[in-house]
Amino acid sequence: MFLITELIAFLCANLILTRALGTSTMFIAAGSRKNLIGTAAVITVFTTIGSAFAYIIDSILPQSLDDIRLLLYVAATGLIYVGLLFILKKFSGKNFVKYRRYVHISAFNCAVMGTIFTVSGTAENMGFFGYISAGLEAGAGFVAASLILTAAYRRLNSKRVPESFRGFPAMLVYLGIISMALYALK
Amino acid sequence: MNNEKFSVFSGLWKDNPILCSLMVISPVIVCGDTLRNAEAIIYAFSAITLFSVTIASFLPKNLPYAVRIIINALVASLVYIPVKRAAQEFFPDIIPRIGIYFPLLAVNSIIILQTEAKFFKMKKPRMIASTVFYILGFDAVIAFISVVREIFGHGTLNEKVISTNAVISGLGQPFGGFIFLGLLCGLYRWLRHGKQLSGGDKNVSDN
Repeated sequence: MFLITELIAFLCANLILTRALGTSTMFIAAGSRKNLIGTAAVITVFTTIGSAFAYIIDSILPQSLDDIRLLLYVAATGLIYVGLLFILKKFSGKNFVKYRRYVHISAFNCAVMGTIFTVSGTAENMGFFGYISAGLEAGAGFVAASLILTAAYRRLNSKRVPESFRGFPAMLVYLGIISMALYALK
Repeated sequence: MNNEKFSVFSGLWKDNPILCSLMVISPVIVCGDTLRNAEAIIYAFSAITLFSVTIASFLPKNLPYAVRIIINALVASLVYIPVKRAAQEFFPDIIPRIGIYFPLLAVNSIIILQTEAKFFKMKKPRMIASTVFYILGFDAVIAFISVVREIFGHGTLNEKVISTNAVISGLGQPFGGFIFLGLLCGLYRWLRHGKQLSGGDKNVSDN
């Protein structure tokens, strides 16, 4: 029972299903297992390290300079972006060209930037590790939502679905129904 | 990009950023439930996108892709500052309601990715015209979605009560946004490709 309650709480806090953050990126990720693993891993790295940067920025930045918060978050995300590409180039060798697209897709999208802003707004009194765990949780939420979509991906793209609604439209409706279930559970 | 078929008007209908490419859909799904929200989003999205794309088009083309993407995002974040200050004057009650989706408009995929994929491959006058039509395409769709969701989800229009009999309250919620946008995308594809799609999509496997 405890696990079920925790699972429901985890899903109810999901940023894709409740706030639609990173929906289009998830549609790309859910297309294949390989894409899902690659994109989810990179997004989790971005949200976790990005949240750590957000903690530092939030600690330093006075309220009067709130307007430049986005600029600083973007600069931090840019640093992570370059850092990840650098690490990937150093360690993936010939596979760099194959894997770098996951970094390009994940860098500046609503899943990452939205998580950083959400974490900044909710983990304010939780300290450094509160930010990091919230970032990690958001990454795990992306994986969970992608898995939910992957489970139905082939059916939503099958010929049984009317052609105009096949693919993205059906996936949006499907996510809406899952989101409605979570709304009811909340 | 298909240069032959691509026209500056594509963003309005044929390559609509919301209905065709599913770009910038988070604010549409979550905040596109009232006309007042839509007005603030339209203002911010239009100003940030137009100025950011225009300014970023002056960057040297020989920079590495990742560096250009980061600079595009930084330019948009700088443009966001005056846009937000003006928004606080014009929409003081709406900005807190839109919350995190307001800054997210500055890192939208039209500025970050479409610029490199489409806009920067064009000559400047054509690029600006094309950007304007992409913006208009986004604006028209979010305005339409917001009006419908406000009328049927809240029973109001521009925050004035117009009906209390036909309210589907779920339409004003994010899940209602997902479902309504999904249905609208399907309708759009039916209107656009109805005849072509009737032959069946050979690339999609049946389960």
